[in-house]
Amino acid sequence: MKIELISVIGLLLCLLIIGIEYILLYRLAELQDEHTARTENIRRRLDIHVEGVLYAPTDGSRNAEITAMANEINGDFTVYEMAVEAIREHNGSSFSGDDEAKERLIERINAQVDPVAIYVKMLDEGDVYHKGYACRRLAELNAQEYRDKIKDCVGSKDRDLSYNAAMALCRMGDVYEVAEYLLSIENDTLYSGRIVNEFFAQFTGDRGELASLIFEKCNKYMKCTVIKTIAIYKLDRFRPMYLEGASGDDSQMKIACVKALAAFGYPEDEQLLQIAAGDKDWVIRSSAIRGLSLLKTQSALNTVKHALGDKEWWVRQTAAQVITRMDISPKDLEEILGGYDRFAADAMKNVLYKSVE
Amino acid sequence: MGFLNAVRSFIVIFNYFCMAFTLLLSFIYIIQLFVSLFRVHRNYDKTFSDDFLSYVDSDNLLPISLIIPAYNEQENIVQNIRSLMKLNYPQFEIIVVNDGSTDKTGELVVNAFHMHKIETSIRYQIQTQNIEAVYYSKKYPNLLYVQKANGGKSDALNAGINISKYPLFTCLDADSRIEKDALLRLSLEFIKDSRTVVAGGIVRIANGSKIVDGELKGFSMPKKLIERFQIVEYYRSFLMGRVFWSASNSLLIVSGAFGLFRKQTVIEVGGYKKNTIGEDMEIVVRIHRYMRKNHRKYKVKFNEFSVCWTQGPMSLKDIRSQRRRWQIGLMDTLLSHAIMTFNPRYGFVGLVSMPYNWIFELFGALVETIGYVLLPFTLIMGELNMFFFVIYFLLSVSLGVILSEGSLVLEQYTHRAAMTAKQSISISVYAILENFGYRQLITLFRMEGILKYRKLRKTWGKIKRKEFEQ
Repeated sequence: MKIELISVIGLLLCLLIIGIEYILLYRLAELQDEHTARTENIRRRLDIHVEGVLYAPTDGSRNAEITAMANEINGDFTVYEMAVEAIREHNGSSFSGDDEAKERLIERINAQVDPVAIYVKMLDEGDVYHKGYACRRLAELNAQEYRDKIKDCVGSKDRDLSYNAAMALCRMGDVYEVAEYLLSIENDTLYSGRIVNEFFAQFTGDRGELASLIFEKCNKYMKCTVIKTIAIYKLDRFRPMYLEGASGDDSQMKIACVKALAAFGYPEDEQLLQIAAGDKDWVIRSSAIRGLSLLKTQSALNTVKHALGDKEWWVRQTAAQVITRMDISPKDLEEILGGYDRFAADAMKNVLYKSVE
Repeated sequence: MGFLNAVRSFIVIFNYFCMAFTLLLSFIYIIQLFVSLFRVHRNYDKTFSDDFLSYVDSDNLLPISLIIPAYNEQENIVQNIRSLMKLNYPQFEIIVVNDGSTDKTGELVVNAFHMHKIETSIRYQIQTQNIEAVYYSKKYPNLLYVQKANGGKSDALNAGINISKYPLFTCLDADSRIEKDALLRLSLEFIKDSRTVVAGGIVRIANGSKIVDGELKGFSMPKKLIERFQIVEYYRSFLMGRVFWSASNSLLIVSGAFGLFRKQTVIEVGGYKKNTIGEDMEIVVRIHRYMRKNHRKYKVKFNEFSVCWTQGPMSLKDIRSQRRRWQIGLMDTLLSHAIMTFNPRYGFVGLVSMPYNWIFELFGALVETIGYVLLPFTLIMGELNMFFFVIYFLLSVSLGVILSEGSLVLEQYTHRAAMTAKQSISISVYAILENFGYRQLITLFRMEGILKYRKLRKTWGKIKRKEFEQ
């Protein structure tokens, strides 16, 4: 009897859970329906306001429309974002194709809506996810006066919030805070590589200054990562460091520095790149080939041609891709395609078939 | 008399065993459900501040090769390629591998995309059947069409890997559609954790719904009952099971319809295994085995927000063939990697995930079927306490409903705009109804898979599909 009693209690418990699940499911679905209906409603009303703002015949009537739109937004960030998106994507008015004019219009809307206040409130009162979101939006609005509030979030234990806050400062061009943040994660090699890449791409301040600050205190891994990342920005002030690293013995540093030097495409680096093109590490060879292809000298062309027969597929492929950008003569081309080097011919054919009809 | 007593005792003991088995399985499922509820809730909140669209311009985003193995896919192939071309991803290539189709698959692709034959260098990093020709189109430079001798799905995928040029690849079914942002969301798993070697997305049943360019434009209930049951089944399997297993880095299967792989890792483990019909599970298990054996840090992830739409079987015959095939694939993989089971060297995968799959996913069908067979005998012999039986039956059905309803709640959470409240509630009715007949039928098909393992383990079978509604 005892086990049967337990089973009955178990059954009742299950029925209770099912009931709760039903209520939860129904409530979630209902909320979703309400949300969809509300969004559609807002969108409909916003469309009228957006058209009113964009097609207003006079500046006075435009101001009146902006005020009406601000009332519709009423401190709701989702409505505000929908309005801004609608204006940016709208086609057909005199603003079409004129992004600057649209941005000026959004600034006028911002003056009435005060989105910064909305996001600051979110930053103060929201959970970690809302805080992170607010940081990003405040950076987009360039709310420099709230930089300190964002800085406080960089020290958060929550990695996402910390990242979002540092990214916001990055967009605001805060060189010291960003450098400190990157240095704080330098030992996390699984994480820092991509962060360095993202932060340098988004940084609005002086990238050279940011790199210098990092180089002063960072470890070797971070140094190599930063060098590889800033290669595309061709920062002349670091050339002596690149030249030293490219001729040194440290393989990781060599890879980074050759990549950085190759991006410049300076004739004075040709000799160094020629040497690097014969390195035992294929990553270095590949970077050097890319760099040599920018020089377009006969000796560089010869090295790139030679690389078409490299033992490593990636180097051959790189050489084939870059050689088409060099001044290669039909005779040279014929020689490669019909030559004894099957790998070179194959790599070339692969590129040529895709570029020639 | 002695024999009858022995039979009687066996039946009684087996009945208790079945009961304990079912309760234990339900208990495991409920743990899975709670872990998944917690994870999905957290992941959903995370997506709020993630701003994943900002990654479109990121240098960190790895380019992807989309490999579509196609064998007699003339109904869907062109439409699928067109839909893939509209993906929101900065750099990708589409490689259609025609695995010796006997219909017009190749002709349709070549003509639709104005392709011409090219000579190209191929790195045969994995051994495959001969690649007969490669076609390229200047108008669609990110599309390659590969014509090869028939060698099966695995061989076609391996050929695609050989010819692909990007560090990540995804295998896609020719009859599935992935959502516009799905690839971007899935590839973030590789950016955010460089240890990630495999990431799987969620597969949803498209039957009845309107899918345009991979986007759901209207959810409506499919006409047939078995299609409706499959919707509930897929929610349960993906939102509950896969979220749970990926949380413990022991997910053993990434759907063949939509999974993203690090190419170098797949090459290191030797590519897809030929002559198996469960190649999608086998490759993931082999990756676990290889990485753990070599003490390499790695992650197998699941992203519940990356959506792939697929057509579920529409007839009983097709669903029977599909489930039989899944069971054979499971059995084949478990047998191939049996050494991992209960082996501490393979960590959580060896100690929990593999035994779970053996005991509950493979032999579960066997236990359940024997239970059904013995039930009438128990009744005849008067060994069944009717009250107890009814309570037990209701309990097991209730537990099943809890799990299905729970996964519907999860679905409502992850894919909020898909269903209206009315649809959500009406689909929940099928979470109850599936326990009366459908579940038992599926168990029998799975059982058949086990019994016909030797005979059918190399037979794929073809499921009848229709074109996606546009």
